[in-house]
Amino acid sequence: MSPLPVGLLCGALIVGAVALSNPFAIAGCALASTMLLWSAPPPRRAYVWFAAWSAVLVFVVNPFAGVQGLTPVWTGPKLPVIDTQVTQEELVFGLAAGLRLFGSALAVAAFVRLADGDRVLAAVARVAPRSAMIAALASRLLPILERDAAGLVLGARARAAQLDQRRHAAALAGPLLGLSLERSMALAEAMEARGYGAGPRTVTPRPPLARTERLLLAVAIVATATVAVAIPLDHYRYYDLLGDPFTTVGLLTAAVMTACGCAAAVLVRHGARRS
Amino acid sequence: MNAALQLERVRYAYPEAPRPALDGVSLEVEEGELVLVLGESGCGKSTLLRAALGLVPHFHGGRLEGRVVTAGLDTRTHRPAAIAARAGLVFQDPEAQLVMRRADHEVAFGLENLGCPPGELLTRTEEALAAVGSAHLSERQTGTLSGGEQQRIAIASVLAMGQRLLLLDEPTSQLDPVAAEELLALVTRINRDRGITVVLAEHRTGRVFAEADRVVVMEAGRIAHQGTPAEAASHLAGSAPWLLPPVTQAFAAAHRTQLPLTVRDARRLAGAGPPPTPAAAPTGRTPAIRVRDLHHRFAEVDALRGATATLASGTVTALVGANGAGKTTLAQVATRLLEPDRGTVEATGLSGYVSQNPAHHTLRESVADEVAYALRNLGVPAGERAQRVERELERFGLGELARRHPRDLSSGERQRLAIASVTVMRPAAVILDEPTRGMDGLRKLALAEMLRGLAAGGCAVGVITHDIDFAAEAAQLVTTMARGRVLADGAPVEVLAHGTFFTCQVGLALGCTTIAEAAGRLGPDPERVRV
Repeated sequence: MSPLPVGLLCGALIVGAVALSNPFAIAGCALASTMLLWSAPPPRRAYVWFAAWSAVLVFVVNPFAGVQGLTPVWTGPKLPVIDTQVTQEELVFGLAAGLRLFGSALAVAAFVRLADGDRVLAAVARVAPRSAMIAALASRLLPILERDAAGLVLGARARAAQLDQRRHAAALAGPLLGLSLERSMALAEAMEARGYGAGPRTVTPRPPLARTERLLLAVAIVATATVAVAIPLDHYRYYDLLGDPFTTVGLLTAAVMTACGCAAAVLVRHGARRS
Repeated sequence: MNAALQLERVRYAYPEAPRPALDGVSLEVEEGELVLVLGESGCGKSTLLRAALGLVPHFHGGRLEGRVVTAGLDTRTHRPAAIAARAGLVFQDPEAQLVMRRADHEVAFGLENLGCPPGELLTRTEEALAAVGSAHLSERQTGTLSGGEQQRIAIASVLAMGQRLLLLDEPTSQLDPVAAEELLALVTRINRDRGITVVLAEHRTGRVFAEADRVVVMEAGRIAHQGTPAEAASHLAGSAPWLLPPVTQAFAAAHRTQLPLTVRDARRLAGAGPPPTPAAAPTGRTPAIRVRDLHHRFAEVDALRGATATLASGTVTALVGANGAGKTTLAQVATRLLEPDRGTVEATGLSGYVSQNPAHHTLRESVADEVAYALRNLGVPAGERAQRVERELERFGLGELARRHPRDLSSGERQRLAIASVTVMRPAAVILDEPTRGMDGLRKLALAEMLRGLAAGGCAVGVITHDIDFAAEAAQLVTTMARGRVLADGAPVEVLAHGTFFTCQVGLALGCTTIAEAAGRLGPDPERVRV
């Protein structure tokens, strides 16, 4: 899909997840990101796992890292550096922080899976050709390396290796690095053979946005406007005592962002079926 | 006629290489010529093509002596990016050379690099795609294309840039017979219809040998011979017959004076000989692996749809079929690297699988350690392990390389190491996946010999291959697959000699499968016998 509507929507979701403070509004952004990624082509599971584990980690660590909140839930033995008093406020803030991370990570993943990489690179190449080359190498190499990693695992298993053992899995990192160097050399050579770096580049004119993309752009504008309006109005506080999350701004923002996520997912799926 | 490519006493060595890859090469290719470059692996064919584009030495480093002029540009003073406007190179590995994600963006990439006006970009891209019969692939993701389709896109990328010199480095080495034939036909058509100069390095000479205007034979970095296809055939018949098309090899092996270059000529020259005695399929051998009604699905693709097959002990069985037929999946399920969704796998002992990319068997820091890896995983005691590793290294001619790093080996040595690293486990059955990719004829003959040796030791050997002539030479049984099912199996002569595409050249011409059988059937020249 065109990077414009996808980028605008994902950007709104990331900004909303990071800058809004009401837990329902953050949850709305995270839910919308999840819906959007769900509509993207596979692979998706790795992104969800990474985002979920990061979120859980933040949620678990936060109460022991902060010394805030007036409603203790549990108090442990005194330890240096670690705060062993867990408060209700710290738990809710940790949950919100985890959701922020989860929502932002999935929005980035949705952008990677949905936006046309070639158009993104063309846009980057206009302002930073060198960075575009590195990005091109990375974006082309990542899926190939994914297959190489699977090939190395297969090669090891074909020789009776039990790869659930951590040391065996770690032993594959070196060979994979070696392969990645060989691959990147081959790709860089192919790029040079096709005249990359010969002089100023031109860019192929891109076709106008399709109907689905225009509708997605409209959804992205609604999401962006909602976030822009909600940020200055959202005054939710976690400390010293939790505020009331059932505010009009929080609930409305959550509802609009969730609706945008659902609408975007339907449009993306519809667009994919048509193409 | 103007020269499209000129090399004058070119001598080049890669950085830190012990000997030069090109050693005093002089060659002149005229505009509109189709030049076929032949030679064993490592003889300098790829380096010659890279020198033509200036990638040697600008990209790879090293020292170049002599002079290379490509389409009027001296590579000493022009970088590859500048030469790319006049000459294009299609590499061996279709996947490694694609830069963009979408096919039409890939074709446009080179044009954008050369600063083509935006107004022309779309037209030239579409024209180039249409010229290679791939207009329907325009919006497809390059990662989802087959190897043949990817190579077509690579050629379209060169055509779009309006280059007059097309350099192709073994473009069919990873393609199935149908895709390879189509690609070579396309290259010939581009040369004949559009007058584009083509320099083609290729091991599969069957279809293209007779079409070339000139054949250049390379040996250890030098040009050993150059001339018309007929002259080259006469020269190679005595010195390196494995570089010739299989039908020509058969006539050379029969000591015939007239050497055909095509199947049609071979039929005409062969006359009405005695009918071939078909080699019967070996019977009564114990199955080492038996699979029944296998089903396996990847994402949205049914890779196996009720495949049933047997791999017999003491036999080399070739598994052939188009890309995507399910051969690799069948091999991986049969060797228990993949669990089938449905169906049964019965095996009498340990099964081994050698991946199509030898680099995937390169996990350790030395050749000896690589071979020992499997034994260590199996818990073989150190003393016995050392003995078995030494024996396996000697068996595969790797004894002297035991301390070398696997990545420092040549492609042929890497392939042998990959096989040794699996057979050291003494499996009851071993399946090799596309072991002949990028291999020259001589190495294929050696591999066929090696596989027959393994089978003679009682191992059930399976070999997945696109190279039908290799399958005919190496195998005692052939199984063909399509769309996840086994279509036929039997002796090579039953399966390979009478097909349309999955058939060997000597089969088409003479109804036999191996060159030795064909030579035996042909006998020497009838005139010579009469005298």
